[in-house]
Parts: sequence; structure tokens; C-alpha cells
Amino acid sequence: MSLDAIPIHVINPPPGEPGLTGNAPPLLRELSELVKRLLASGETSAIDLSALPLTPADLDWLRERLGEGEINVTLQANGESTLNETACSGIWWVTHHNEQGAVTSQFIEVAFVPELVKAHPQDVQIGQEYLELLISDL
Amino acid sequence: MQGPLIDTLARQGITRRTFLKYCATLASMMALPPAAGRAMAEAMAAARRPSVIWLPFQECTGCTESITRSHSPTLEGMIFDMISLDYQETLMAAAGHQAEEARHAAMKDNAGKYLLVVDGSIPLGLDGAYSCIGGRSNVDILKEAAEGAAAIVAMGSCASFGGIPKANPNPTGAVSVSDIIKDKPIVNIPGCPPIPVVMTGVLAHYLTFGSLPELDEKGRPKAFFGETIHDRCYRRPFYDQGKFAKTFDDEGARQGWCLFELGCKGPVTYNACATVKWNGGTSWPVESGHGCLGCSEPDFWDAGGFYKALSVPADPLKIAAAAAVAGAVAGVAVSFANRAKKNTAKQTHEPITVDDLEK
Repeated sequence: MSLDAIPIHVINPPPGEPGLTGNAPPLLRELSELVKRLLASGETSAIDLSALPLTPADLDWLRERLGEGEINVTLQANGESTLNETACSGIWWVTHHNEQGAVTSQFIEVAFVPELVKAHPQDVQIGQEYLELLISDL
Repeated sequence: MQGPLIDTLARQGITRRTFLKYCATLASMMALPPAAGRAMAEAMAAARRPSVIWLPFQECTGCTESITRSHSPTLEGMIFDMISLDYQETLMAAAGHQAEEARHAAMKDNAGKYLLVVDGSIPLGLDGAYSCIGGRSNVDILKEAAEGAAAIVAMGSCASFGGIPKANPNPTGAVSVSDIIKDKPIVNIPGCPPIPVVMTGVLAHYLTFGSLPELDEKGRPKAFFGETIHDRCYRRPFYDQGKFAKTFDDEGARQGWCLFELGCKGPVTYNACATVKWNGGTSWPVESGHGCLGCSEPDFWDAGGFYKALSVPADPLKIAAAAAVAGAVAGVAVSFANRAKKNTAKQTHEPITVDDLEK
């Protein structure tokens, strides 16, 4: 039996264009402060976008204003994550997806390099051991 | 398997970045600042497995099912493996005296440090004779195990509030954990069953900060129980527009309108179903076309009928706030606009219960 035979039409998400709340513009000021802090002290920071009252339209507005930078990083770890540089160098748009492709969390990170991209010394150590193993097999 | 958590994870093929990503998302869900995600990852990666003793009392094993079948294999499930679960009757291989010995050994070796998880209510009738394990009453075992516990997690509505065993006329004299234990930190994770990620979140918080997360007046973690189902429901805009399903098969139901008039208890139920969802984020009761039963609230079973509509608008202040948002603004916008009003509302608003609202 095809699903079309079931006379229930799920409407999800609800109709109507989500509007701008005006909550996005202040974030630009906050980002400016965070970038100043990064330059002054090297201190990195992040804004948790899912914790803020932003509609999809707000996020689009913000994303569009911040623009596209030169670097797009894709991370495959329990679903895809994208860490994209914006036109403002030092500001990264970070989106985590789960294995089903749904967005699990979204951040704007202010850093020279996003935290997740850096290799951890312990992992580098493991890589080095593997390298030694390769060399010993030569 | 006693090394740091990150080594155990690595053995299961979970990379550090996967773990970092998971912690970032978990921190976000728990409404912790973004930096907490990293702190959490660092602390948890280095943490040794804490001893956990899980005591099942008057329960249906639904809570255990909820946790162990949490869309495995997810990290929720794996983190759960990362604790040293020293006693869990349903899952442990040992039985009889062996099992009881395992519990006593864990209590002795980790005195003052272990986490005690309890699911099910505790019957006090007939000196607790309604539910005994190894010839001892639940209340006896609970008191003994609580003494050396660092903290107690009451899993599910029964352990948190008494739940279905406590429903009228409560033949066994069932009570909650907090009715008996008064001198230990207790976190209630109600729900029938509770949401797995709430358990993980509480555990992660405990491993990271060495303390329980911030709790509300009913002992529930605020991060997950801070808002009602109604506040975060994707059908909320239909409520604000006055569009209600009147029966389960009318046009409104087909259109996915608000289930308020069909008895949805969303407006008086604090839980995270609307955002976290169930079955690996697949759906949740309202999305499946049925109103919320209010299973994470005290005495939900006796609250007057699952299909009886609550009688007054959920929160007049919120409706005023919604009206202020002009036109056909979609749900997210409305509920977020409401948030701004929420603090004022909270200060002036008397808490309402299901009883107040019943017709």
C-alpha cells in the first residue's frame, strides 16, 4: 500500500514565513568585541547559536552578512561537521550534523584556527608511533 | 578498563574529534556556555570510570529499556558503558548471593564516592513487604545504599515522584526516593520513561564538574526541564492562532493542528521531548498526533484523564506576548519572543498545576 492512500497530511514545519526578530544584528557587535579580544590577548570564544532566540531567517541574515571566506573544513566524525571561514577572517561558522544529517548544534567560533581542526598532542604522538612502525618495516 | 575515558573510547573506534563534537553538542543541549563543551571533553577524557550502583524497586524496567535501547550504538550508550556499572540486576550476569556480594563490594570499595541510580518507587506498606530483593525490603536496601553514595539519581517518574505504583489508591504505600532519603543530593529525572540524553547529561556534568547540574524546585535538571512541552512545541503557532484538532480524525488533526482540546498536557508538563525527541530524534508523541500525557509530572496518572482538555489558557502572559508578534510569524519566532517576557512572567506567575486547570 502506498503512503499516499493514508489521508493524513503532516504539515511540518508549520506554514508561514519565519520572520526576522531583530535578534541577529546585536550579534555583529558582540562578534566585533570577541574579535578585538582575540587580537589583543589571543583568547578564543564561541557563540552557541542554538541557545539564542534566532529564527531560520535570522540565521540566514547573519550568515549572509558574514559572507564566505577562503577555507571550508569538513569533518567526518559521527556525522558531518562543517567549519567554514567567513569573510571576516577569524570568525568561523561551525555546524555539527548527526549521522542522519540533522543539525545537532551550531556555533560561531572566534579563533585563528577552530578548536576541532587542531590535532591533539596525544593523537600526534600516536601518529608518530605509527610512522616509526612504517619506517621499521622498510 | 580502568584507564582514562578517552583510551576506552579510542578502543571502540571513537576519535577525539568525535568526542569533542559530542561534548560541544551536549553542552549546548544543557544550556552551558560553549567553552564548557571543551572543559567537559577535557575533564571527561581524563576521568576514571565512576562506580555506579543501580537499584531497581517497584518498576517495569521501562527506564532501563529507555537507556539501553537509546538508538544504539550512539555515544549516549557508550558513555553509559564508560561508567563502572557494578550492580544492575537486569543487566548483570551474576545472580543470587554473587550479585548481592558485588553490590556490597562496590559499596565498600567506593564508599562515599559512588553514584546511586534508583528506578521504581519504594513501597512502605506492610513494613515494605510488597517488594523485596534477596529477602530484604526495598526501603532497607535503599537506606543502606544511600549512606555511602555521593549522590542519588532518581530515574523515571516512579523513583522521582512515586509514579504509577503511587496512583490511587496506592495499595503498596509507594513513595519516591526523596520521600525517604533527606541527607543526600538527589537529582530527579522523571518521565515514563525518561529521556536517555538527560541521564547522559547529568552523568557528563557530574564527571566534569564533580557536582550535579542546577536543579529546579522539583529536583529536576533545569537544562532539560526548564520549559514546558507547550513552550517548545512545533504546533504552538496553531495554538496561538486558535486552530485546534477537535477529534483524532477531523480536518484539524489531518492538518496537524494543536491537540490542546484533545487533552494535551503540554502546557503543564516540563520536559525536553519537543526538542530532543525520541527514537534517535525521529519523532515524539505530539508529532505522532497524540497529546502529551504529562508523564514527567508528579501524579500524572491521577490528573483527571488523558483526553480531558485543560480548562484555562496555559499562560495568559504568553498569549499577550504572542499577540505582540504581528501577523503569521512561525512557531520558532513566537516561542522565542515569548522567552523575553518569560522572566517577568516567572516572577509574577504562580505555578499552576494540572489540578488547577482541569475543567
